[in-house]
Amino acid sequence: MTRNLITAPGFGRRRFLQGSAATLGGATMGSLLGPLRANAQTPELTMWWWGEQELPGLQAYVDESIAAYTDATVTSMLQDTAVVISQFQTAAAAGNPPDIQYLWNGIYHMESVWFGYLKALNGLMSEDTLRASNPTILSNFGGNTYRLGWYPLPMVWYYNKDLFEKAGLDPEAPPATWADLLAACDKLKSAGIEPLGGGIQDGYWSEWYMSHAFVQTLDTVGEAVELFIGDKDFRDPRYHEHWVRLEELRTLGYLNVDMPSLELYPGIDLVVAGKLAMGQSVGSRLPADSTATNGRIGSMVMPVFGKGKLAGKPIVDMQGLGIAEGAKDPAAAAAFLEFLNTPDRLDAFHRTTGWIPSSSRFSSEKIENASVRDMWKAWGESPNITNITNLMPGQFYEQAAIPTGQQVVAGDLTGEQAGDLAARVAQEWREFNPDLVEKYQQWVVDLSK
Amino acid sequence: MTLSRRFTPYLYVAPLIGLLAFVFGYSILRMLEFSFKMVRGIDGPWIGLRNYELVLGQALFWESVGHNLLLLLAIPVMVVIALLISLLLYERLRGWKLVRTLVFVPYILAIPIVAVVMKQMFQFSGPVNEALRWLSLDFMALDWIGSGDVALWTVMLLIIWRESALGIILFLSRLLSLDEALVEAARLDGAKWWQRAWYVLIPQMRGVIEFYVVISVITMLSAVFAYIYIMGGGRGGPGTSTMVVELYIYNALVRTSLPGIAAAVSVMLFAVSLVLIWLLFALRRRAEDERA
Repeated sequence: MTRNLITAPGFGRRRFLQGSAATLGGATMGSLLGPLRANAQTPELTMWWWGEQELPGLQAYVDESIAAYTDATVTSMLQDTAVVISQFQTAAAAGNPPDIQYLWNGIYHMESVWFGYLKALNGLMSEDTLRASNPTILSNFGGNTYRLGWYPLPMVWYYNKDLFEKAGLDPEAPPATWADLLAACDKLKSAGIEPLGGGIQDGYWSEWYMSHAFVQTLDTVGEAVELFIGDKDFRDPRYHEHWVRLEELRTLGYLNVDMPSLELYPGIDLVVAGKLAMGQSVGSRLPADSTATNGRIGSMVMPVFGKGKLAGKPIVDMQGLGIAEGAKDPAAAAAFLEFLNTPDRLDAFHRTTGWIPSSSRFSSEKIENASVRDMWKAWGESPNITNITNLMPGQFYEQAAIPTGQQVVAGDLTGEQAGDLAARVAQEWREFNPDLVEKYQQWVVDLSK
Repeated sequence: MTLSRRFTPYLYVAPLIGLLAFVFGYSILRMLEFSFKMVRGIDGPWIGLRNYELVLGQALFWESVGHNLLLLLAIPVMVVIALLISLLLYERLRGWKLVRTLVFVPYILAIPIVAVVMKQMFQFSGPVNEALRWLSLDFMALDWIGSGDVALWTVMLLIIWRESALGIILFLSRLLSLDEALVEAARLDGAKWWQRAWYVLIPQMRGVIEFYVVISVITMLSAVFAYIYIMGGGRGGPGTSTMVVELYIYNALVRTSLPGIAAAVSVMLFAVSLVLIWLLFALRRRAEDERA
């Protein structure tokens, strides 16, 4: 049964209006004061991130960390792969970016730096935390660092120890030089085993090949940039030698025959399945692949052919986090990033994802999987270099880095012709992007250190 | 006709035109504006015709256009296949209704689904080549999607297989609407099947065939993205052997951060599509006049 309050004795229209006004006023004040009070007590942060797609368990880690953090209320959003950069840049341009943004390495976040969308982290965060996170040299511009390393992606070559044994090769001593590699391929081929390759149909194998091989011809990371800005030339034999070497592998019949029609991951699976002896991979796959093969997958650095100072060094790419220039509370955002780098959070990262957090504060002794531990000691805890493909302009990546590898593997292009194509595309990039050439010229100062 | 009566029809369609202008007008104007700017982020400085100059001077753009034009070769094949099957179905052979449904299935399936399946089938060690090797036809076991010489033809094969289904249904529906007395008269006069088809049926299908051809031309020039994206490994590969204009635009916009370039090519593609759409309407008008 309901009661008509308006006509009830002692509750006239005036009282009702007064009551309504008081209620409305109270509610309005409450809604206004609520956030003010919250702001005064706990800052509110937004964090846009990516990574669950390549590192299952990261979502659980982010959720757990947010729940454990009491100094701010953090709202997170997992981004779709296709919009990680564009969504952030659009929001930043509109003046409403997240406080914390996930950032891929090199040019994938440097453009946002050049647009003025990212804050320099030095001065905002402790130098110790920044340095320990190994954000890599590709995060530096104008003497500032714009990213904090979050988790690493070691770039490795896989080899199948069982197939090595079958071909009479030492499974604990993978080839280290180009001559060793050719000899090993020859033995494997003679034993009826496809020696090397993977899948290149979707193009990523080309990119990874450049990460491993192109870098061998360079003395500094900045030297690669000089090729893009026109100070050096891909037609110089030194700078297309990596494609000539790929051509050599194809001509000698050492690449798997279905390589042009297979995609990257099915190609890696061939090594794991014991159908291919060697191939490119990424360290984050190792825990699962090692377990699946009872530790019979080994990691190796690409055998050396180049004479550059960067040749033969393990490569570690790095995913990272940054703070937007338009962040409402940069200090609070920096404090949350510091929190993620406390020993407890670094252990939690490893516990929930099974992978390694990017911080020298995390001890590799805590890694249970022996293959992963050994790999990380060789890659993460030894002198390493960054992934060179992360500083390629997008146009060069799409129109030269990817197609050249595919065409050389398919026999449609020689290594030398690949150099010509790369030089032409670099020239086109300079014509299409005169403003970016200037930025790259400034960036080369940081990259040549 | 008074002035007010002449304008009345326009008043009726005005709300729809207003709605279309609201939905598409802004984006088209913005696209046009971007095509004259060096856009970085969400805006940039005015650079006149420089984007058009850069695009028209780039070999990759012309290679993409060439691939779109090459895909036009699929259209006569599609027309012949669709005509043959629809004419056979028109004979109402036993089970024709079931076959009619089955031939339309490829068109109902989403392109990414059929493309992914096709891609698996056409791998070098995939079922197609395995079958060919089993039949001792090793010389025909090509690297269908891995070779730059073959990949675009493989995509074309998929497009023909799927897009012919639309032609079959269009042609069959036209055939079923024809006056059967003419066919019967021809049959009584002793005309064979192919004579009835060639002299009686196909001439009456001219309008729908023209319609299908124009639709297919538009498809080949501006609506093959999904086929290419899946079959070409997301990049128009191997190399640039399956790169088409749509993918060129997508790459410029999404992967190489060149919205101005993407806009310039979009404007050109839009202009070509407008001409084709005008042609389509002209043909439809003529077909209606003929029927009347």
